[in-house]
Amino acid sequence: MGVSDVLDHFMRKPIRAAGEIAIETGSTSGQAQEVKQGLRFYVEYIRKDRPALVGSVIIGIFLVFALIEGTLQELASYLGPKYAYLGWVLMPSNPLALSFRTQLLGPSLKDFPNYIFGTNFQGQSIFSRIMYATPHDAVASLIVVGSAIFIGMFMGTAAGYLGGWVDEIMMRITDAFLALPAIILAITISVLIGGGFTSLLVALMIIWWPTYARFFRAQALTLRNKGYVEAAKLSGSGWPRILVKHIIPNSVDPIIAYATLDMGTVILTYAALAFLGIGVSSGYPEWGAESSAGLQFFPQQWWYSIMPGVVIAIVVVAFTLAGDRLQDLIGGRITY
Amino acid sequence: MARIIVGNPHATPGIIASVIKANDLTAPVWVQFYHYLVNVFHGNFGTDTMYHVPELVELKTYLPITLELVVVGQIIGVLIGLYTGAIAASNRNRPADYGMKALYLTTWSAPIFLVGFCMQLVVAYWLNLLPATGVVDPVLHPPPSVTNMPVVDGLIAGNWPYFWSSLQHLILPAFAIAVIGFGLVTRLERASMIDALDRDYVKLAYMKGLSKRTVVWGTAFRNALIPIITLVALLFAGSVGGAVIIEDVFAYHGMGFFSVQAIFNDDYTAILAFTTIVGISVIAANFVADLLYAAADPRVRLT
Repeated sequence: MGVSDVLDHFMRKPIRAAGEIAIETGSTSGQAQEVKQGLRFYVEYIRKDRPALVGSVIIGIFLVFALIEGTLQELASYLGPKYAYLGWVLMPSNPLALSFRTQLLGPSLKDFPNYIFGTNFQGQSIFSRIMYATPHDAVASLIVVGSAIFIGMFMGTAAGYLGGWVDEIMMRITDAFLALPAIILAITISVLIGGGFTSLLVALMIIWWPTYARFFRAQALTLRNKGYVEAAKLSGSGWPRILVKHIIPNSVDPIIAYATLDMGTVILTYAALAFLGIGVSSGYPEWGAESSAGLQFFPQQWWYSIMPGVVIAIVVVAFTLAGDRLQDLIGGRITY
Repeated sequence: MARIIVGNPHATPGIIASVIKANDLTAPVWVQFYHYLVNVFHGNFGTDTMYHVPELVELKTYLPITLELVVVGQIIGVLIGLYTGAIAASNRNRPADYGMKALYLTTWSAPIFLVGFCMQLVVAYWLNLLPATGVVDPVLHPPPSVTNMPVVDGLIAGNWPYFWSSLQHLILPAFAIAVIGFGLVTRLERASMIDALDRDYVKLAYMKGLSKRTVVWGTAFRNALIPIITLVALLFAGSVGGAVIIEDVFAYHGMGFFSVQAIFNDDYTAILAFTTIVGISVIAANFVADLLYAAADPRVRLT
């Protein structure tokens, strides 16, 4: 059992695609039922499973809020300083304004919900600051996982389908990436290409794809001997066409569960890096950075450090719950 | 590439020229890289741009501290993981199983610094059981450094107050590393235990009239141990990454703390040296795991 086998275990080598399970579930009920496929199948499943439901609801709130909030912030910066209030119109207080009268207040129900997480050294409500920072985390998780799927898809399927030296080179590259701790690699890369949120995103994108490349490679290895791939080959399709038309569409489905789980990991890594002060722009609140700012007031003003961490934990637990349940389903361990 | 970073905006052209000459910066990048590689193989990681001492001296001071922390944390984490995984597997689909799953999914999803903060808050500040920050009580006189690992040095020198104090300082950060890492072990141990419990030799053990306790811990557990070894090596990389954050939270002045300082000082030789050393140690851990694997499973042959 080598390293790749253990990795495969955690990525739960998928046996069936969602459509196939749907066909089975349809047939067990014994009626001429319409076969649910794709998105509708997942929605149906999530509705019946409580952990997955809780997770998906939290994820939904997080993403929708981040979308609205991000749009408002962009709008505010586009319209100029006169309309700056648009950025925090959804929050109980301005997360950027200083107010030294309310310095370091503990969590309380006074002026609900403004002070439920307490205030920081600048007297700003930690609750507002956490809400103000959501777009960055959502963007980071979506972009990093999205790009990792995209890069890993082409690298991995090409390696698995073509085999030979392409495969060999690709696997050695992923080995090199997997040998180094992700956090340390991300630190090094983002320091090399300069500070700021964008460079952090680029660093995460660079280090994130190898796991997906391995995943898609495993998929391609099992799919390349399937009948329809052979048929396509016999009918004269070249390998790029086979990859795009046959292999990739059939291996994307099982990746959804792992990607859901992984979005939580991206948020964790992003928070850890921000905690160390990497990729943080001054004047813009950030979950991890907020927590590390509270380090010097610890343990007297414990809420300063703990509260942002708790919010991160809740969001990541949501991603983990949903991803874990989906993984069970796609791995074929749950049939209902 | 990191050499492009500008440290001092007030440098005169003369200084810049001398730095360029000393570091061979006019050479093409791959020539510079070649020189760096040759130097590394000679044990020369360059001179620290911040403290102006050879990088190797810095590594010798800080690396053993982190190594001790990570190894102890890893051992605790694997023990917790094995225990919880075996319990989850032997109570499959019962409340204990779901409880274990909830436990490891939560610790999995908690940010590393939150784990550290909560431990400090509860154990160190509320219960006053253990010290919250630092490597050792600073008033104690350090023993002669042999390995540079505080606990081991204290033990070798027979300096019991120092040994005791450094051990107390080690427990919390090591546990924090254990907490973030044990979930993966639990998960794999559960899966491989379930696999082992379905085997014929387990049924035979039950038929011989052995108690459930003996069967689970004596027979199945030992056979389920084998896949864990590979995972431990994989986990090592994650633990080193986690140690960077943990050391920051606990002000535990090891390699991670040092490298974070290096980042803010634009101390590129230190960052490169740290990354190289971590890469080497992770590869070494994988190698050791392969050897252990062969030792644990007689069917595997090293060729």
